[in-house]
Amino acid sequence: MTMTNGTDVFTITIRKRPWWFWAVAGLWLLLELLLLQTAWASVDEGEIRAATISGIAFVVMAAAGVFGWLRRGRSQKFGDSSGQLKDAATSVEDQEQD
Amino acid sequence: MEDRRKQSGRRAFLKAGGFVAASGALGSLGALVIGADTGGSQRKRSRWIKTVDRPTLGETTADYKRFSGKDIFSIYMPLKTQRDGAGSFEAEQASKAKRLAEWISEGKPGFSLPDQQLSVGAWTVMHSARPGTGLLSWTRPPVRTPAEPAAQRYKASPEDMANTVKAAARLYGARLVGIAPMNESYVNQQVPREDEKQKDIDIVFEDVDVPAVTDTKFVIPRKMKWVVAIAIPMDLELLSRAPTALGDAASALGYSHSAFVVSSLAVFIRGLGYEAIPCVNDTAQSIPFAVDAGVGELSRLNKLVTPEFGPAVRLCKVFTDLPMAYDKPINFGLVEFCKTCKKCAEACPSRALSFDGEPSFQTKGPWNNPGHKAWYEDSYKCFQYWQKSGSACGVCLVSCPYTKGNQAWIHEGAKAAVSVAPATDGVFRIMDNALGYGKQRDPEQWWKNNSSSGRRG
Repeated sequence: MTMTNGTDVFTITIRKRPWWFWAVAGLWLLLELLLLQTAWASVDEGEIRAATISGIAFVVMAAAGVFGWLRRGRSQKFGDSSGQLKDAATSVEDQEQD
Repeated sequence: MEDRRKQSGRRAFLKAGGFVAASGALGSLGALVIGADTGGSQRKRSRWIKTVDRPTLGETTADYKRFSGKDIFSIYMPLKTQRDGAGSFEAEQASKAKRLAEWISEGKPGFSLPDQQLSVGAWTVMHSARPGTGLLSWTRPPVRTPAEPAAQRYKASPEDMANTVKAAARLYGARLVGIAPMNESYVNQQVPREDEKQKDIDIVFEDVDVPAVTDTKFVIPRKMKWVVAIAIPMDLELLSRAPTALGDAASALGYSHSAFVVSSLAVFIRGLGYEAIPCVNDTAQSIPFAVDAGVGELSRLNKLVTPEFGPAVRLCKVFTDLPMAYDKPINFGLVEFCKTCKKCAEACPSRALSFDGEPSFQTKGPWNNPGHKAWYEDSYKCFQYWQKSGSACGVCLVSCPYTKGNQAWIHEGAKAAVSVAPATDGVFRIMDNALGYGKQRDPEQWWKNNSSSGRRG
């Protein structure tokens, strides 16, 4: 959708996240939950090594998830990892040429 | 701009809330799918524990005979003399006593005076329970109200009877309960006398109405066709300190709990108008009854391994004429897992456990009862290590990957995977080692953990 107030031109693009994104996010969440619960329960059971490994795995997975989320957020298009935004003005120019 | 910021904050909050809810839902779903049993109660057993018509291991053949009833101590003593010469057993016992006394003086962790006395105290109930008398009396009348309601027999369907008895057993402290049919070949030939010079007392089956205990024989009525097989978990915090006196305390406590549970259950059953014979390790082999009742499976340890508590359980049983629905044996993939794992055999300090790939009919000595397929153990080596270590060891029980606390969901998932996909057995064995399970914990830490300001470890 392109809007203009005479001087500025805005382009608003709404894209639906694909189904596999939610599948991966769900799996990530499930794994995170499992690792956190394992770390927590292992502390309670006195299994220090299991608790440490699960805790580290939880933090690494969480960091990876947050990093992935932020990277996707910067990208305009899913599957486009370059993160470059198409200039709105260019879009308008393209339309005018049409 | 301010409104937009507020909207954005609300959206983030809703998003976070959604994620939390999704996590909860996924966690619950996972537990539901794999049938998580966090409490270890048998009322709702996990779905990956399948019932089968015949035991996966330990099924007896025609060669299976009633065992003598002698415990390993009475078998070891003459064998030691035979192998190492006259006086070797006595010398070994004297050396052990001297060592234990020295360890008390030194305050050796796991063998200090409080450590050793913790074990002695835990034995108290069991030591007052002799077969056929006191707590384990075969004939003690039940406690009845003045109205004598038990004069009338309680009647219900076999299924309801089984549920009633299981509920009572759980109340008294049992965690896993199953009902097996009486198999006379599992019952020992004799009850050993305390005085070893006297002849042991025969256990016989007769067509009588009530059990009897005399100086010459113990009589089990043939109408007692039901056996309540019970497993009582051992204290893992104590057991993980094996091989020390603290590890022994876990066994001792398990035995004393067993004596309490079976004696209470026997009185309960008599109160319903039926006969009951409570037994701990005495009178019959507990493992085959527990296998037939679906409490667990026979393992590489040649002991019972339960899906919920591994081999860290003490077994006991009650014979009765109270008609109940029988349970079936179970299969949770243990035998296949044992073929791959071998962790107990590697951990055993005396190398008493079998490394064979497959179970066989080949026994290792007079302590084994032939006539069934098993991974037979060398109890002589095992018992010799008991004397050397000054404890009843228990390392094999701790090392088993099934010996875990029931709090982490991932354990339930791993057990489920082993049950349904034996191809994963090797992976879980490697993970068990990598995560550091089954190692001996610091004995001194046990006292710190259980003091008011203690931390676990």
